[in-house]
Amino acid sequence: MEEHGPNLHDLDPETFCDYVHSFQFWFDAVQGYLEDRSYGHRSDTPTKELDEKSRDNLITVLCNYCVGETMALEGAGGLIRVAPNRATKIFLSTQAVDEGRHLEILERRLTELGVPRVGEEIERRASPKLFEFHRHLLAYVDAGDWNKAIFAQNVILESMEFASFYTHSVHTLETDPKTHELLVGIIKDERRHIGFGQNELARRIAADASLARELAQVRKDLDPLVFHAFDEVMEKTGAPRDRRTDTGRAYLQAVERLGIE
Amino acid sequence: MKDLALKNDETAAPRARFELDDRGFDEVPKKYRKFYRRWDGPDDTLAPNEVLCPVCKIVIRSHRELLPGDRVYCMACMSRLTVVRGKAGRLEAVLELG
Repeated sequence: MEEHGPNLHDLDPETFCDYVHSFQFWFDAVQGYLEDRSYGHRSDTPTKELDEKSRDNLITVLCNYCVGETMALEGAGGLIRVAPNRATKIFLSTQAVDEGRHLEILERRLTELGVPRVGEEIERRASPKLFEFHRHLLAYVDAGDWNKAIFAQNVILESMEFASFYTHSVHTLETDPKTHELLVGIIKDERRHIGFGQNELARRIAADASLARELAQVRKDLDPLVFHAFDEVMEKTGAPRDRRTDTGRAYLQAVERLGIE
Repeated sequence: MKDLALKNDETAAPRARFELDDRGFDEVPKKYRKFYRRWDGPDDTLAPNEVLCPVCKIVIRSHRELLPGDRVYCMACMSRLTVVRGKAGRLEAVLELG
């Protein structure tokens, strides 16, 4: 094996988990795709003019994304206190940094699109269902309910965001390179967030089957809110219906993997 | 090169070994990039040393031929996975629960 260099997959699980939850890992990972970016895109990325309808739709979509990122930022930050161990606390601190960055670059994109008062525009345009989801998530965080909060935030919300951003990024590849680039960067961060949620809960559910039933109730409460909000967003992105179905499917695969019905 | 210490239990043949090259996967620290590549969708054929991460859809690569029971790590989404043979006969990875 030495001839081929150390095999990452031969590491013991504890060493791997400690490393990937560390701030050092986060720093080394994000350098690969953020080093040459300013506010999520390269300085020489061309700005393509959008027609009025496309611009208006994009503003609505970005306003919804800002609500999603705000709740993930508040959720990740709030959960540090109740996280069960040191590695998890450190990971959540990196997630909070990621979410803060996402919010900043999305708001910056709204400013570039000519939105004068971003905060007011978000309040006006974002789906009321997302605000309702936000209230549920913060209630779990405030109650210190680790399992429900991680499920709502890192499984439901992050899976839907991951799939939506991916679909949207494919759609903007030619038409809006700046938005495309910032979405691609966000997706790379989101991989860590969805992985954290699924790995954390998969092990807990394996140890206590009743947890799956408990989380099924959370899903029942939150699914309609998040599906409704993201369907609205997909409609505005102009994504074909089959791509919207893919978005839903990616989320369903995640909850199925956890055995949450 | 063949590694005689690591046998393929399914065929009793030595496991094939692979040199890994950097495929430009930029989401993990530089020294681990060669262990991953992007997935090009359902038409993307995986090599015997590759398996798809079910969580984040990144192709995980190993120095050696993968077999059911092997543990692999997806650094992009921080998942611990076990290789299994799926219903269609292909190698798949599932989340480790222990």
